Amino acid sequence: METRALSPRWRLIPIVAALGALAVLLTGGTVAFLNERLYERQKLREAQVQAQILAASVTAALVFEDQAAAHEYVGALRVNPEVMAAGVYGRRGLVAGFARPGEPALPPDPDSDPGADPARRLTVSATVAQGEMVIGNVLLRMEREPAQRRLARYGGIGLLVVMACLVLGVLAAAQAALAKANRALAVANRDLRQQIQEREKAEAALRQTQKMEAIGQLTGGVAHDFNNLLQALAGCLSLVRKRARNPALDPLLDAGQQAVDRGAKLTQQLLAFARRQALRPEPTDVRDRLLGMSELLARALRADIALELDLAAGLWPVEVDPTQLELAILNLAVNARDAMPNGGQLRVEGANCAGLPADPGEGLAGGDYVRLVVRDNGTGMEPAVLARVFEPFFTTKAMGKGSGLGLSQVYGFARQSGGTVRIDSAPGVGTAVTLLLPRSSSQPAQAQAAATVQDGTRAGRLLLVEDDPVVGAVLADALLDMGFAVQRATTADEALSLLAGGAALDLMLTDVVMPGKLTGVDLALEATRQRPGLPVVLMTGYSEQVAAGTPFTVLPKPFQMDDLVAALDRALGRNPIRP
Amino acid sequence: MALGRTWLLGLWLATLPGPEPATAQPVPLEYPVKAAFLAKFGPFVDWPAGSFTGPESHLAICVAGEDPFGDALDEVAREHSVAGRPLAVRRLPPRDGAEGCHILYLGEGADGLLGSVAGRPVLTVTDAAMAPAARGILHFEVREDRVRFHVDDAAAARAGLGISSKLLGLALSVVPRG
Repeated sequence: METRALSPRWRLIPIVAALGALAVLLTGGTVAFLNERLYERQKLREAQVQAQILAASVTAALVFEDQAAAHEYVGALRVNPEVMAAGVYGRRGLVAGFARPGEPALPPDPDSDPGADPARRLTVSATVAQGEMVIGNVLLRMEREPAQRRLARYGGIGLLVVMACLVLGVLAAAQAALAKANRALAVANRDLRQQIQEREKAEAALRQTQKMEAIGQLTGGVAHDFNNLLQALAGCLSLVRKRARNPALDPLLDAGQQAVDRGAKLTQQLLAFARRQALRPEPTDVRDRLLGMSELLARALRADIALELDLAAGLWPVEVDPTQLELAILNLAVNARDAMPNGGQLRVEGANCAGLPADPGEGLAGGDYVRLVVRDNGTGMEPAVLARVFEPFFTTKAMGKGSGLGLSQVYGFARQSGGTVRIDSAPGVGTAVTLLLPRSSSQPAQAQAAATVQDGTRAGRLLLVEDDPVVGAVLADALLDMGFAVQRATTADEALSLLAGGAALDLMLTDVVMPGKLTGVDLALEATRQRPGLPVVLMTGYSEQVAAGTPFTVLPKPFQMDDLVAALDRALGRNPIRP
Repeated sequence: MALGRTWLLGLWLATLPGPEPATAQPVPLEYPVKAAFLAKFGPFVDWPAGSFTGPESHLAICVAGEDPFGDALDEVAREHSVAGRPLAVRRLPPRDGAEGCHILYLGEGADGLLGSVAGRPVLTVTDAAMAPAARGILHFEVREDRVRFHVDDAAAARAGLGISSKLLGLALSVVPRG
C-alpha cells in the first residue's frame, strides 16, 4: 500500500534528473556565452585603452614630427603578442607603424582597415589630440583568440557540466534501483506478514485441535470406565428384578434403571465428542431426516419461537449416522431456544456446496458437501465464549440446565463424519452454526422394518471374556439365566489357552479392550482361525471403531439384556448352533 | 669650432634630402624647424597662473640676441595658439630685460640674460648652435641631421614651470627635478 503510494514520486526521479541535467547544460551554455561576451568586451576595452595610451604618448612625437619617437612608441607594442599591427597617422598619413610577418600591411587611411579579417582581428583606432585639436590617429590591430583556444578555455566548464550530468544520471539510476529494491522488499515484507499470519492461524488451529484431542482422550477414558460401571449396574438391576419377582420393588428398580439410562446417554454424548462413539454411517437423505424430525423440533422449542425449514430441493445424500445427525440438530435447536429467552426465529437451512476447497486447519478434504445451517436471532455470544463452545462441559447455562455436551456432540459428530462445524455469532445479533457434511456417492436405503427380538430359552456353551469382574459376574448370571452354559475368562490369553485346551464352544462373547497384549478383536480373529465358523460377539464401551470392519457382531456398551439377546441371536443366526 | 660645425650642418641639412622618406616632405631647414618647435612647446608647458595678465592674454615668445629665424617664427606663431591664447613674438633689444616673456630664445650673444630670468616662470631655450655652453630649460641640438632638444626639468621646477612628460619623452636627455 505504502509502496504503491510512494512509487509515482519515485518514478519521477529519472525525469527530474533529465530536467536537472538539461538545466545544468543550459546554465553551462549561458555562462559560457556570457563569459564569451564579457571576454570580448573586455578585449575590446583593453585594445581601446592600449590605443588611447599610444595616442596620448605619440602626441608630442606628432606635434614635433618626431618620426623616430613615434616609431619607438609604436614599436613598444611589439612586446604584446596580441598586437598584430599598429600605426600612427599624422595629418599627412602614416607616420610610423608595423605589421607582423604574414599580416596584411597597414591601410593608408586610419578610418577603415580593409586588410584585416574581422573574425581573426580586432581593429580599434583612437584620435591623437592636442587640446581640442585632432592632430592624428592611431590604429591597432589585435589578435582575436582562435576558436580552438576559446574552446579550450570553455573546456573546463564543459567538463564540469558533463560531470554534473553524469553524477545526476548515476544518482537517478541509483535512486531507481533503490526504489525497485524497496518495492521488492515491501512485497517480500507483505508476503512474510501474510505467512506469519497464516502460520499463527494454523498454530492456533493446531493448538485448538490438540486441546480438543486431549480433552477427547480424557473424556473417552472416563466415559469408558463409567460405561462399565453403568453396565454392571444395569445388569444388577435386571437380575434383581428377575430374581426378586417382587412387584413392590418395581418402582425402585424403574428409578434405578432410568438413572442408568440417563448416565448411559451422558456417556454416549461424551463418546460422541471423543469421536469414539459407535457411528453407523449410512447414506442419509438430510431432507427426509429433518422433515421427519420437525415435529420433534417443534416440541423441543417454545411456542414463541418460529421454526422455519429452508431445504433446497435435490439435496445430496450424506454419509452420516442418522441418529447422531438428528441428535446434533436437536442439540443445536435446544441451544438456540435457550439463546432466545424472549422468543425469536429458528431457521434450519440446507443447501449443496459443490467443490469446496480443502482446509487442512479444519481437517476438511476438498470436494462436495451438504451445508446445514441452524440460525437463530438470539442473544449471540462474545468471542471469548465462542472460542470455547465446543469444549465438553463448557456451558453458559444455569447450573442443572445444560450438560455442556450439546455442541461437543455436534463437533464430534461432524468431525467423525468427515465434515466440520463452523460457528458464527455476534452479541445481540444471533448465532449461526454451519455443519458441512460430505456428499455420499450412494443413495439412501429405504427404511427397514425394525427387527423383532426373539424371546425364549437359549442353549449352548458360551465363552465369556471380560476383564471387569463386576460386569463379568453380572453378565454370566444373566447368560446362565438365559440357558447358556457359561465358561469365563478374564483376558484374551486365558481364553486362547482354553481354546487350545480343546474346550467345547458354541459361542464367544468378548470385551474388546482388555489387559494383555491381545484385544478382543485379536482374540476373535485368532479364535475363528482356530475354529472356523465360531460365532463371536464383541462388546465395546470404548471404541466400536476398533471392531468395525471385522465380520463379528458388535454390541455397544451399555446395553440392555434384550440387546444382548438380539446380538447373540444375530451371531447365532448366521451360524446356527449345531444340535 | 662649434660655430663652423653648426654652419656646415645647416648647410648640409639644406642641401640633402631628409632621412625619413616616409614623410615624403622636403627636409625643413634647421631654423624654420626650431621656430616651429618654439611655437609648439607651449601646449606641453604649464605656466603659473600669475604669469598671464588675463585669460586671453598673449603668450609671448621672446627672441634675445641675434635672431636666426627671420619671418619663419612670426609665420608659425600666427598658425599656433596655446589653450586659446594667441602667440606673440617679441624681439628683445640688447640689454633689455625679459619682462613679460613666457618663452625666451637666447640667440647668439644673449646668454647673459639666462642669469637674470633664473627662478622666474620663463621657459628659457638655448641653442647649441648659438652658445653651446649656455643651458636653458630647453637646449636645442642637431643630432643625426635632426633638430632635438635636452630638457632640464630641475631648472623648470625652480622656475615654477611644469613640463609635460610627453615632451620629456622626446628629449635627448632630461635633468630630472630634484
